[in-house]
Amino acid sequence: MSNIAGKAYAMNVITPLKWLTTLRTRLIFWGAGKLPSTTLGLVTLSLIHYARWVILRPKDFPHLGPEQPKEDLQYCYMLFFSNFNGSWDQYVDSFSSTIPTGLDSFWYKNIKYTNSIPMLPFHRYITWNQIWTDNYYNAYPMASTNDVKSAQKVRQNLIDFARSTANATPDDFQRQYNKLLLSLQHDLSQMGLNPVVSLSASAVDRRLGKERRGVS
Amino acid sequence: MANQSGNAYALALLCPVRAGAPPAGFDGQCQESYAAHLRYVLQSVRVSGDSPMARVPNTYLSRFFLLDDVFYQGSPALEEHLKSSYLVFCCNFHGELEPYLTGMWKTIESEVRLILNHCVGFSDQTVRDAAAFIAYIKKCEIKTTFYFNGSTDQPLAEQLKGLYLKQEFSKFAFENQGRSAREIQEAFGEFIKGTEPENTARPAWKPGVYDLDKVVAK
Repeated sequence: MSNIAGKAYAMNVITPLKWLTTLRTRLIFWGAGKLPSTTLGLVTLSLIHYARWVILRPKDFPHLGPEQPKEDLQYCYMLFFSNFNGSWDQYVDSFSSTIPTGLDSFWYKNIKYTNSIPMLPFHRYITWNQIWTDNYYNAYPMASTNDVKSAQKVRQNLIDFARSTANATPDDFQRQYNKLLLSLQHDLSQMGLNPVVSLSASAVDRRLGKERRGVS
Repeated sequence: MANQSGNAYALALLCPVRAGAPPAGFDGQCQESYAAHLRYVLQSVRVSGDSPMARVPNTYLSRFFLLDDVFYQGSPALEEHLKSSYLVFCCNFHGELEPYLTGMWKTIESEVRLILNHCVGFSDQTVRDAAAFIAYIKKCEIKTTFYFNGSTDQPLAEQLKGLYLKQEFSKFAFENQGRSAREIQEAFGEFIKGTEPENTARPAWKPGVYDLDKVVAK
């Protein structure tokens, strides 16, 4: 199992909710999609590469033929998939601390949802409903989501700078170069491997070591 | 559409796993259920730059896991169970679904078969080409209710080129501190020639690589 791929952690959570509750929850998600300002807290936290919520009614479970028994469920289910930077505790606690209301509105009236504060019951709720990932792939394991966003800015700035200074005198070049560094001061840093800070990360490290040695 | 945020696509699949055990000789294994064998296969697939997903164009992040059942929340909640196990595949990628799946089929058909042959309705006989693969995936796709993109939605090649440039330009800025204007200008000219910022193909970071010494594709 590997919930960790470099600087990214894969979280999978599945929780039941009643059909009537889904109507309200869908409305909240619809509103969040229409009004990006409602997710400003998520943006500001800047921990997440990509996350999604999926609400499944019993009839939404794919049924592909007579050899597969049809599901007979009473509850609907909400699936949450996130790709975030940092450890499980950092992620869960960041949300509880900074956007508890947003979190509680997304999980509103899910069966036995505890609210995101106090933290300990919330930890227990997520742990109880989390499923471990069997295979997790990340195209840029040495980069955080902030690195990816910064990289886009660095590249565009370099392209523009190279064009605008192609015929500059050394002094003019220096002035513009200093401006470039100033504008990119939050975006320049060295990336590298994530430190191994947990038993899970250590297990992933051993798995990668085997891959490097060609052992399956 | 909730599956998309700009040019980023959130694909989520629930593929029902066959019930029971595979026949003797199925991929060299026997005496275990399709679900148990599939979990073994998923955990054996590489996750680094040698991962099959690293060959599928425009894949940002992907995961596989098995959903064997739903969780009972304790009294007075209802206790209910799934009748099938499901292979869950979640992927974030750049672009539209059908071109992405076509790219997946072209690049890793054998690995796709190795995994999906454990699932109901998928076999060498029922899925023979990219069109049949796309049709199968669409039957298993579940629609995302809300998609949050905290990153960018650029093509992967542009993201990887940007990361390469960020790393190299950070070194450049550090190494050229305190030098004269003329020296920095000359060094920058060499830097641009060597790094080719507008060329997304090379030099750039390779997808999925965990090693700074091996990450640059020259």
